[in-house]
Amino acid sequence: MYRLINVIDQYTHQITGQNLERLTDNAFIPFDPANTDYQTFKREVSEGVELQDPDGNVMTQEEVDAFLRTIP
Amino acid sequence: MSGNLKLASAGGGSVTVTTPSTASNLTLTLPSATGTVATIAGTETLTNKTLVASGSNTVEATSGPTSTQLAGIRNKIINGAMMIDQRNAGASVTPTADQTYTVDRWQMRLTQSSKFSVQQNAGSVTPPAGFTKYLGITSLSSYSVGASDLFSIEQAIEGLNCSDLAWGTASAATVTLSFWVRSSLTGTFGGSLLNSALNRSYPFSYSISSANTWTQISVTIAGDTSGTWLTTNGAGILVTFGLGVGSSSSGTAGSWAGAQYWSATGATSVVGTNGATWYVTGVQLEKGATATPFENRLYGTELALCQRYYWSGANGWAGVFNTASTARFSGSYPVEMRSAPTITAIAAPTALNPTVSESQTGSQTTGFSAPASGGSIGTTSASKIQFGGFSSGADGRPSVLTNSPLAFSSEL
Repeated sequence: MYRLINVIDQYTHQITGQNLERLTDNAFIPFDPANTDYQTFKREVSEGVELQDPDGNVMTQEEVDAFLRTIP
Repeated sequence: MSGNLKLASAGGGSVTVTTPSTASNLTLTLPSATGTVATIAGTETLTNKTLVASGSNTVEATSGPTSTQLAGIRNKIINGAMMIDQRNAGASVTPTADQTYTVDRWQMRLTQSSKFSVQQNAGSVTPPAGFTKYLGITSLSSYSVGASDLFSIEQAIEGLNCSDLAWGTASAATVTLSFWVRSSLTGTFGGSLLNSALNRSYPFSYSISSANTWTQISVTIAGDTSGTWLTTNGAGILVTFGLGVGSSSSGTAGSWAGAQYWSATGATSVVGTNGATWYVTGVQLEKGATATPFENRLYGTELALCQRYYWSGANGWAGVFNTASTARFSGSYPVEMRSAPTITAIAAPTALNPTVSESQTGSQTTGFSAPASGGSIGTTSASKIQFGGFSSGADGRPSVLTNSPLAFSSEL
């Protein structure tokens, strides 16, 4: 299970990006295609493992697939 | 007597011993039955000559550096002597998940959990001469391996570190894998070299004829001229030792295959015998057709090589409280990592406020996060993190970590 976390600029309060948390061990995974945990994340969520949006809502597979197309 | 000495042969030819132009006295000692073939007395230099040893003979220098010593870093395996164990510090682990790391750089592949215990120097046997550590694996059951089962111990070599082998091209270089192994079982064991796509593999086999005895194994492998072998920061070559590999993942030893073979067909299954042991150390993969002596690198060098893939710490990272209970810390890594790492909290943080000499402990889990601001959590050289669970911070108060609560992994 994974969760996206918004990165919010502390001065403008605008969302400037996202971080990725692996909920099984509370690890933070970078959006780096060379990182094997990131490779595993992409494979697992494309196969149906749960991904939550920054509000904690479980994303549908369509939403997950759309999200995967936006990341490296 | 001066000039040349010509010896007539019964075959009609002759052998001429030519006297060099020299002011010193040189001696040519003819061979005895089992002794030296030739000795050059005094100072002499061999120029543009190649000394060739035939059969089981060797060519060696009695003093001075050898070509082996001058070859630089030869071993493409990191932590081949099993010295570095950052994760477990010598403690035993029982892997439950596939690709669990044991001693540094060595991960266990498994399709069934909890079938082995793994420990640096398990069983406390005497390592081979010249070594102080080994990786010890003990079977915890007598599991019958199914066709699709896989149990192995493996190191993935980064592509950047084996690009010189030119695998996947017509110039593919020959390599030699050597290691010391000891098992409570005897028989034929197996392993394999694979590419990252797992569609090229070279199963190999080796024999242990005497139980509970260290045996040195050497396997020479002609480089693969086919397939794709990464030369990037991805996995270049996977070196794996089988501990119980099913028939669908085993192939004929001694040849390249366009398949995912993790071991040789018919290899002994360590997982099949409860209490069976399999120990290994001195693992070396080097370019060339000859196994040279194990390359002993300095401990600090080996540790730094391991830290490119995993390290734990963050002691001394500076930060600042942004609320009463949360503080953000940042710092750089001991070495450039292979990729941006996965960051995990492995202990509750202890933070010192240097202005009031107050130390307080936060939470390992509550509030551990990427900073809510400031962009990406980390790069290949530095990162920032936020810990929560502190009790008496204050916005803007400086702080510094005084323990090692974080683990950074960019393993292959």
